[in-house]
Order: sequence, then C-alpha cells, then structure tokens
Amino acid sequence: MKAGDLLRIALLNLWRRKLRAFLTVLGMVIGTSSIVVMVSLGIGIRQATVESYASYGSLTNISVNSWRWVDNGDGSGTSTEKKLNKKSVEAFKKIPGVKVVMPVITTWGMLKSGKYVSDASIMGIDAALAEEFGIELGEGRYPGYKRGSSNYEIALSQDTLNWFRDPKTGKEARDKDGNPKVTLGSRFQLTFDYNSIYNNQPARVNEGFPTDDEPPQGQLYRVSAVGMTEPNTGDFSWYCLMDIDALKKLAAENKAFVSLDTDNYQSVIVKCENTDVVAQVKAAIDEMGFGTNSLQDMLEQAEKQLQQIQLLLGAIGGVSLLVAAIGIMNTMMMSIYERTREIGIIKVLGCRMHNIAGLFLCEAAYIGLFGGALGILVSYGLSLVINLFIGSSGFKSVIPPYLVLGALAFSVMVALFSGLYPALRAMRLSPLTAIRSE
Amino acid sequence: MEQKPIIDIRDVIKTYRVGSVDVQALRGVDLVIMPGELCCIIGRSGSGKSTLLNMLAGLEPATSGQIIINNQHLERMTESELIVFRQKNVGFIFQSFNLMPYYTALENVAFPLSFRGVPNAQRLKRAKEALRVMGLSDHMRHKPSQMSGGQQQRVGIARALVTDPEIIFADEPTGNLDSNTSDEVMHAICDTMRANGKTLIMVTHDPNMAAFADKVINLLDGRITDIQCNARAKIG
Repeated sequence: MKAGDLLRIALLNLWRRKLRAFLTVLGMVIGTSSIVVMVSLGIGIRQATVESYASYGSLTNISVNSWRWVDNGDGSGTSTEKKLNKKSVEAFKKIPGVKVVMPVITTWGMLKSGKYVSDASIMGIDAALAEEFGIELGEGRYPGYKRGSSNYEIALSQDTLNWFRDPKTGKEARDKDGNPKVTLGSRFQLTFDYNSIYNNQPARVNEGFPTDDEPPQGQLYRVSAVGMTEPNTGDFSWYCLMDIDALKKLAAENKAFVSLDTDNYQSVIVKCENTDVVAQVKAAIDEMGFGTNSLQDMLEQAEKQLQQIQLLLGAIGGVSLLVAAIGIMNTMMMSIYERTREIGIIKVLGCRMHNIAGLFLCEAAYIGLFGGALGILVSYGLSLVINLFIGSSGFKSVIPPYLVLGALAFSVMVALFSGLYPALRAMRLSPLTAIRSE
Repeated sequence: MEQKPIIDIRDVIKTYRVGSVDVQALRGVDLVIMPGELCCIIGRSGSGKSTLLNMLAGLEPATSGQIIINNQHLERMTESELIVFRQKNVGFIFQSFNLMPYYTALENVAFPLSFRGVPNAQRLKRAKEALRVMGLSDHMRHKPSQMSGGQQQRVGIARALVTDPEIIFADEPTGNLDSNTSDEVMHAICDTMRANGKTLIMVTHDPNMAAFADKVINLLDGRITDIQCNARAKIG
C-alpha cells in the first residue's frame, strides 16, 4: 500500500466522523496549548532571570582573585593566597574556551575641579579590551596612556561626577537651577592624598620639602576627562577608568597614600567564548589555586530553583495533555468497535496487517498533528493575552521556535502512543467477522 | 499433461470449542478442485459449509489436515502470509455485499487495488473496466445506498475480479437478494468466471443456485456426502 493512499484513507476515515474527530482534536488543542503556555511561562521566567543577571554583568566573565577559600567540609575552612601576575594571566589565556583575559587593578583617589572635590574609585583597564568585558562608555572614548608620559586620561563615572562638592561647606557643585557646575568639559586634577585635599590637618609650612616626621603631601596630577562610563551597566559602571599602566605608575609614585601592589594584580577578569564553557574554565582556574566567581554560578543556583518551577508548570500542562491522550485512545477504541466489520472486510480484500495498524496510527497522528498545530496557535494567543494583561518584567510568556516544533512533535508522539494499542487491536481483529452473515 | 488441481485438501478436521463442549464442524473432508471449475458447496445450516469456505480462503485455520491451494500449504502460513496469499490468489463475494458505504461504486472496486500498491490512475482504469464488464458503466459515481441490491452485488463481483485472482470465493452471494435478482446475479457471476477461466467456490443453501455450478458438493454434518457433476455445465 502506498504511503499517499494510507494518509488519504486515514484522513477520509477521520472526516467521516467529523464531530468526534473535532472533539478529540479539541481535547488535544487544550492539552497542547496548556502545556505550551505553561512551558512558555517557565521559559519566560527563566529568560527574565537570566536577563536580570546579565544586567549585573556579563555571564561569560569569570572574575579571578588571589584568595581561595578551601572548605574543610565541617563549616570551617582556610583561605590560601596565590599571587596573580603576568604569568598567571598568560596561563589563563592558554585554558581552552578562554577568549580574552584582562587584569584589573583598582584603587581610589580624589578628583578636584576648581574648588570642588569628588571621590573616585578608579579601575585600571586595557582600552583595547574594555569593550569586550562589557565596560561600556556613555560618551567619549576609553582612556589611553603613552608609556612614560605625564599626560593622564580618565573616563569618569556618573556617580563621581555627581558627587563633586565643596569640601569646606559640603555644598554640592550645582548652580541655583540645580545644574551641575562640574561637567565632563571641566578641568580635573587627581590626587591620592586624602588628608590634604580635605584639609584635615593644619596647613604645612615647609611645602614641597617633607621632613621625616611629617607625612609628605600628595601631588596633584592634571587629568583630562576623555569619556564617561555608561551608568547602571554591568559590574564596572561605578568605576572611573584609567589605563592600567598609567594607574600603576601613579600608584607607584604615591606609595605613601596608596597601598597597591603594582607587581601583582588584585583580580583578573577572564572572558569565556560562551556560557557553556564557563563552568569548565572556572574549574581549571580553581585547580590552579585561585579564587573565582562568576555570575554564571549564581545564575546556576537560581536556575536550579527555576527548574522546579518549570517542572511544576510542565506537570500542570502535562495533566491536560494526558487527558487529551486518553481521549484519543478512547476515540480510537470506539472507532474500532464501530468499524470491526470494515476492518474485517479490508483484511479479506487484501489489506496487509501493518497497513491496518498504519491506518489507525495515521488517524491518531492526524489528531495529534491538527490538535498540536491548533494548540500552538491558541498558545500564541494566550501568550499574547498573558503578556498584555498580567505580564510583568519577571513574569512573562515566551514561545521560542523550538517549543513550537517540540510541542508539535510531542503531540504527534502522544497521539501515536495513544493510538498504538487501538492499532494493534485493529490489526489482530479476525477477518471472519466481516463475512459472517448477519 | 494432466492439469494440477488448484485446490487439494486432505482429511481436514475443524473443531470449535463452545464453552466446555467441543463441536466438530468438519469431520475429515477430502476435496480436489481443478482450475476453472465452478463449484457449489451446498448443505443445511450447521453442515459446516461456511467453515469449509473460510478454511479454503485461509480465513480460519484447520484443526488438522492439509489445505493446498495453488501449490501452497495454507496450514503452515502465518496470518500475514495468509493476507499476502489472499492478495495474490483470492477474490471475495459477500452475502451482504460489504461495500464501503461512503465510497462510490468506482472507488469500491478500485479499493482492493490500493492495498496492492497499484497507482491511482491504473486503479481507476482497471476498476472502470471491471464495472463495464458487469454492466455498471452508468453507476460508477453512485454510492451503494443509491443502487439496488443486484447492482450492489455486481459491484461486489467487479471488486472481487478487479485484482485478477485465481479463485473467487462467494459466501451465499444471493442470500440477500430476491429470486429474480438472484438468477440475474448468478448468471453474471458464472458467465464472468467462465469467460475469464476463474475457479469459483460458492456456498449456498439454495438448491436452485446449485444448478449453475459445474460441480455440486453436498455437505452434511461436517462430511461430504455426495459430489455431482452437472452435464449442462460441462457442455457450457
């Protein structure tokens, strides 16, 4: 028997029992759409979670620091230190799955513009890599540095810019309309000497000639603001940025005020090629004896909890699909009782056993296919309604293409499974019943 | 050379179990039928004639004995093999016509060909020809409910012949028809069988119908009591 004939005859058989076929398909529609909507909610919630994590920073980044916590297994533990330096950066670059590695040093200093002063957390970066690591600029460009020069560039953060105030009066640097007096175009000076900038100690007489018992006064460096970081993006948006070499040089010159180990890095950011390899790269770095953490870790924790929600949602949808599947089985069984005679006749007329089973399986598959397809349409509608009326940033319904295909395949599979027993029953029916005279 | 028999059964016994009682439907039947013979199995109800027919057609297994049809041992076949055997060798005419009510005459006749994987165009061509032979060219598009009993049975005959089988089995083919129509249908059956050189095995309890056959096999209580050969049929 040709496959085309089989499909055509099966469709015809369904068509002959339109109402019942329709009702069975309807059951399947409800089953499929309920499971699709439930799963889509699960996906939507998960997506929202991932997005909210991604807004804290890149999910492919691993931040490495030199302190590693070794758990003793009884709640106590010890921290071990391993220095992060150029050699370790090179070692990280060799780990498979690592895209780029960026060492990071951070310190803090004070920025002075006219009579106003602001505190700044400063991160040393590599301008060539900054964008890769999700350090975003709102305007301007990344600060660079020509080795050996005394021309320093800085990218300011919004917070630092807003913080400018008069150290004597504490008044904010704003005019009477509330507009900031210090802007990106202002002149800036950078110092690391907290005490002198805030005038916490009496003015020194012998300026420029520090004696042994008096702490030296920190130098003021002219810095030009070349850009501003984009606020509220990722891990680094509250840092002012400087070139890492420039910052190291400044730190070295200001050892009295800044305790920054310029030979080693405080932390190193490792960017992986994709989220799939994060775990294995992280494990490799752990193995080397460094402390690591990544958003991916936290996300995985959150996902474990989400999985349970997804399971629950899927189970709720699954129940209605189960009911629909039983409906299909019932319809097919009824159909067999009705068509006992017909099955017998076609058997006598030379229909092969597997073709009879095939006919019934086809009918079941059609129900699954139509029910699934309609169910997906209904799901799109429901999903739209959910997102329009009861959706929020953390609760939404998302139907990705794979869910559509999966749902279709699943409903056909469920239908075929439900049709299996009836098909076998039909196949085994005796042809004698057909020719036995009434 | 002597022709080989198309049907050769030996010592066939069939026992049914009804509750806890064994009922013997056939108590040792031997029968040889040559190709092209029109045979009629006649007997009262309960004589085992339908059982014999079912066994010859491979619809029912024998309890013991040999059934050789067209050189094939039916008693050794599985159900799927029997279906293939029927596809190739056997056509059926039913008492209650057993046409598919939702198909037209043409589709009904073409239906068995679809199980044999014949392409649609060829199916319709062969079905049209078979219906033409049965004088139903004007009724091809009619559904069974739009036709008389005689017409329906002629569609049934066309359906049995369309696959060009060696043997046609007919179980009380006129059982649901009035006497005039019965004669007409019997003529139709016998004439086509003779014209095509087919072997016909027909079961009936109506002695009038037996007159159409070459060979009349009388069955009583599961045994063949008499085999008559009709002189008139031999000439025809």
